[in-house]
Amino acid sequence: MAIGHRVRPDSWEARTSGAAKYTTDIRRPGMLVARILRSPHPHAEIRAIDASKARAIDGVAAVITAVDLPKVAYMHLGGAFSDRTVLARDRVRFIGEEVAAVAAETIETANQAVGLIDVTYAALPAALTPQQASPPGTPSIHDHAVGNVALEVNRSYGDPDQARSRADIVVTGTYHYRPATHLCMEPHSVVADWDPAAERMNLWVSTQAPYFVRKEVARLLELEMDQVHTHQVAVGGGFGAKAKAGTHEAIAAALSMQCGRPVRLVLDRAEEFATTASRHPFDIDLSTGARADGTLTHRDCSVVVDNGAYNHAGPSVAVFATMVAANLYRLEGCRTRARLVYTNKQPGASFRGYGNPQMTFAMESQLDELAGKLGMDRIDIRIRNANRAGDETLTGWRLSSAGLVQCLERARAEIGWDAKQHLAGTGRGVGVAAAIHVSGANAFEHSEHSAAAVDIHPDGTVHIHFAGADAGTGQATLLRQIAATELGVAFDDTAVTMMNSDGTPMDLGAWSSRGTVWSGHCMADTAGRAARILRETAAAKFGVAASRVELVGGQARCDGEKIDIGDLVALADESGRGRLHVEGGYLTGVDKMDKDTGMGHFSPAYAFCVQAVEVDVDRDTNQVRVVDVVSVHDSGTILNPAGAEGQVAGAVVMGLGAALGEELTHEEGRLINPSFLEYAAPRAGDVPTVRSLFLDGADRAGPYGAKGLGEIGLVPTPAAVANAVAHATGIRVRDLPITPDKLRGWGRPPVSPRSVWLRPSRWWTATIRWLYPRGLHRVLHRMSDRRTGRPSEISGSAPVAGLDRPETVDEAVTAYHAGAAYLAGGTDLLVARDQGLASPVRLIDLSTVRSLRDLCDTSAGGLHIGAAVTLADLRRRLSGPGPEPDRPDRTAGQAGDRSGDPAGPQPGDRMLVELLDGLATPQIREMATVGGNLLQQKRCSFYRNGFNCYKRGGWTCPCYAVLGEHRFHHAVLGGHRCQAVTPSDLATGLLVLDATVQLSRPRSQPRQVPVGALYRGPGETVLASGELLTAVTVPAEARRRLAAFEKLTRYEGDFAICSAAVALELDETGAIGDVRVALGSIAPEPYRATRTEDRLRGCRLGDGAGLERAASAWARDAHPLAANGWKVDAACGLILEALHRAGARAVGTDVRS
Amino acid sequence: MGVSSTSEFVAGLVVAGLVVNGEPVRVEVTPTTRLVDVLRDQLDLTGTKDACGRGDCGSCTVLVGDRAVLACLTLAARVIEPVRTIEGIAPEATALRRALADRGGLQCGYCTPGLVVRCYELGAADTADVTDETAIRAGLAGNFCRCTGYGGPVLSLLETMGR
Repeated sequence: MAIGHRVRPDSWEARTSGAAKYTTDIRRPGMLVARILRSPHPHAEIRAIDASKARAIDGVAAVITAVDLPKVAYMHLGGAFSDRTVLARDRVRFIGEEVAAVAAETIETANQAVGLIDVTYAALPAALTPQQASPPGTPSIHDHAVGNVALEVNRSYGDPDQARSRADIVVTGTYHYRPATHLCMEPHSVVADWDPAAERMNLWVSTQAPYFVRKEVARLLELEMDQVHTHQVAVGGGFGAKAKAGTHEAIAAALSMQCGRPVRLVLDRAEEFATTASRHPFDIDLSTGARADGTLTHRDCSVVVDNGAYNHAGPSVAVFATMVAANLYRLEGCRTRARLVYTNKQPGASFRGYGNPQMTFAMESQLDELAGKLGMDRIDIRIRNANRAGDETLTGWRLSSAGLVQCLERARAEIGWDAKQHLAGTGRGVGVAAAIHVSGANAFEHSEHSAAAVDIHPDGTVHIHFAGADAGTGQATLLRQIAATELGVAFDDTAVTMMNSDGTPMDLGAWSSRGTVWSGHCMADTAGRAARILRETAAAKFGVAASRVELVGGQARCDGEKIDIGDLVALADESGRGRLHVEGGYLTGVDKMDKDTGMGHFSPAYAFCVQAVEVDVDRDTNQVRVVDVVSVHDSGTILNPAGAEGQVAGAVVMGLGAALGEELTHEEGRLINPSFLEYAAPRAGDVPTVRSLFLDGADRAGPYGAKGLGEIGLVPTPAAVANAVAHATGIRVRDLPITPDKLRGWGRPPVSPRSVWLRPSRWWTATIRWLYPRGLHRVLHRMSDRRTGRPSEISGSAPVAGLDRPETVDEAVTAYHAGAAYLAGGTDLLVARDQGLASPVRLIDLSTVRSLRDLCDTSAGGLHIGAAVTLADLRRRLSGPGPEPDRPDRTAGQAGDRSGDPAGPQPGDRMLVELLDGLATPQIREMATVGGNLLQQKRCSFYRNGFNCYKRGGWTCPCYAVLGEHRFHHAVLGGHRCQAVTPSDLATGLLVLDATVQLSRPRSQPRQVPVGALYRGPGETVLASGELLTAVTVPAEARRRLAAFEKLTRYEGDFAICSAAVALELDETGAIGDVRVALGSIAPEPYRATRTEDRLRGCRLGDGAGLERAASAWARDAHPLAANGWKVDAACGLILEALHRAGARAVGTDVRS
Repeated sequence: MGVSSTSEFVAGLVVAGLVVNGEPVRVEVTPTTRLVDVLRDQLDLTGTKDACGRGDCGSCTVLVGDRAVLACLTLAARVIEPVRTIEGIAPEATALRRALADRGGLQCGYCTPGLVVRCYELGAADTADVTDETAIRAGLAGNFCRCTGYGGPVLSLLETMGR
């Protein structure tokens, strides 16, 4: 039967074919698009708003500000915790807060109108961190919150004082978990369509919980809840981001009410990153006590939670996290203190795990530290203290089942724990961490309840109606499996409509891992009621007792008699309107959580998870790679194994992101990494295949014995990785994410540059840098803010008037005029335009210039690469031999056919191949061109994301990287006022191949410029206005050099943190002769490490010490910022690695790329 | 055909001819109208998603000619070769799509159309290395997925390509 079996997920056909309609795909007649005006200030008073100019524009249908909305505070918790209005009323409290909104015929008109709304602000001092928000002398963010404390909870569970007195050892530590974002693939989006005649609000909304949206929109717009109707729509990911209403639903609804037309509001990706609620950052002071035998006695934790500017889930996240501290293991006592502090940043919210990942990171890291001090095995100490079935935890959770011990034992076996303990300190290591989580929490009004309905149709099909949503969790599939099981019909004879609030019993949606237990029970009850009616009806017809009737194969059967269940519909007394309609539900018997003490058994069952991971830490760069993950679960009976594995794999990879890269980074209250590119979340190549394993067993409280599963897979992951890294390196990282800079000194000794005192050329820069934290930054920041008002919030680039499509270089350069821009692949120019960094009035398309796509060997054996050759075409050509059979070489006829080339690719070409394979993504490589890659603008996150920095705003503006985040993508050598680098990997590679570029302009001879002379600053070149880079030439002798390219990135496809290219010749004795070494993303321009080259000449590739000395010789000239000195070490490591690989090519041990 | 080399955009608009999923269509574009908007708003081909607008996530992957490119960074006025979207490719990719459904290759489904198009291109390229997991993972570097952890899509692709 369907339960426990693998079934294809509900609507897979529509979701894999593009047919599924998400909110972003909904089109209504006359639909408008909305845009939001957002605060540019972290904290300011709103003195006045004038929207008259926006209202006057043709094509604008509605404009709303706070005065157009009822004076109702938004938020699900209600009462004193409701601290936010839909649009800011008198004050803005974070950059990106909603101030006004526009609905217009087109997005362009909406953007234009938003730009014309005049808001007069009076800036207030901002508190950007919990430290800044703490008294004395701190700005007050909300009048009601004394000292900016939104909530402070001090609790004791058990007897912590007595327990502490029994401890033989106490370990203490401070742990940090940084803010992270959900990164749903579908951004927050809504279509609102107000029907004035029916006085009814129709909503299509990307949510996990339609009920909360209806409730909130009704409240905020002073409608009755039954006037607000949600419709079924596919939902593109939630993870907690969409567990409650945001502000966008009410904004779209209010706009629609104002103009009487449908309105679509879809947040763009930057808004999604910068303005929606994220994972709360935690600073955790924790101590754990134990007896000498490893028995835990107590914990003491003090947590500061950065709430951001408003309460969303903050109060309950902070409280739930501290409860976890008391509950994962048996303890005698636990004292917890949680302080939730307002800051002038985007608010936090519910996010898969709900505070549990933060607390578990601290607890499970510390438990390893404790085991180390006691000399105990790290799994043994966990087994000793594990909760067992039948336990009641310190906060009153009654564990009807608890497979923690079995999970630990299974994880130990699967990862090969015992055999790998000897790896300690080798760079390879294993770690383990455990977690406990609820299966739904009875925490809100109506949350003890779930309900559903089924219709049985005369054709025997079963249609489920469920008011909750499925954001990808598999809820719909599960409901159908349960209905099929209870009613004895095929899975394919069931269907489900979700989210449709009309005529569907109320359900609170999918959050708190309640989907399986709450909704599963509810569906089993509903379908079970229908099954009883069918059995009774059949029994009456057969003349037998109902208990003897069995539902199977779509029929009711007894003693050889059978009837299709569809035929029973007409016979059942309960049927009406041609169907049998049955409603049912689940009312959990568990406690409501006691809001004052935190005590209570408020979830029906508690799931357990243990993860074991194996990591490999690179000695050259300190980069951590996870090579294996085993996630073992006690989630009771697994109802849908395929769905369960998917939930675990997704959660674990999200946890790996949190462990190794993900972090929302703010500077001056503004997010600096609001894009997939800048926010380091895992790609396919960054992670292993997760092994998910499920214990056998059932919990009597769950439907068919099931417990929750959706969140727990993420909870232990960061701790497990940190523990594995500590095992591999001996370094305990207590501050997530574990980026290579935090392991500095492990793989290689830190390299020290020559003292700045001895380098007069650096004195000026050193002085300026010294002054930055001593007031200079503040002064420059104020000037830059004041002088230009505000950085562009809205992409308001002027429209492009025309697109020229020249056919020759001459036509192209002749078409150029001031304000025009050459357009090659478009992968940088169009993005830069969106970021307000380019506003061409005319585009000159280079893709039609045939000669720019030439790609051929020169008569002398060099390589000629037309500037408009795509990176993918170059890659295909270089890897030879000749064009692939099914992929005709577009350059055939111009390019020399290499299929007959017996030598295959030359060593220098191979270096370019490996460089290209690691450059961006396959899709980008199909579009981006060689010329465009060389000429792309700098990638500094400040510059790209609206900071009015030195390079954007001029000399009175600061370089935000000096004091801001600069660990990865800023210069460690040669930086002056701007710390950005030239981002092109290709430039670094071509530099060691002595490549030249050809530049053309009208009425002049083309000029040849060596790649090394092309740059005069970070992503800035010697090109004159209108000059066109037409080709790159690699000389024949350089192609013959032994060459290799190495690159360190945060994730696969990212821009380089640093890169190294080497190209060398060996003389007849085997010593290094002519050699080139270049470093990328180290200096403003691609950097030739000439000191290293000098040392390498005459060196042998087998001379490890000599190579090592040479590789770090360049570093004496480095002048890193405060936190990027580690890049110097890593770059030395990359040079060595590249030398080894280049050398290996000489003896032919390198397989062909 | 695309826009002729000397065309002026009258009041910013021209009518451009495209071939989408084998059908010649005429659409109105400005010089900067993105292909993804033409597909979604003018042709109602909403299977192609626009999840980042910056070429970072791969949700808008379509084939132009035989190459998988990003419709959010492709200007419609420049497109000369035929365009194929998920709607056109899905009927030819049933084995892959079933494998995705069977092997945990999709959850919310929002990235799935772009993933299917990219995988279809990978398969059509028929290079030897697509049966190797490392190569497949590298091949999917441009398709961000937040739900599956990538194991499902990789397994689906291995299974489909392996045959």
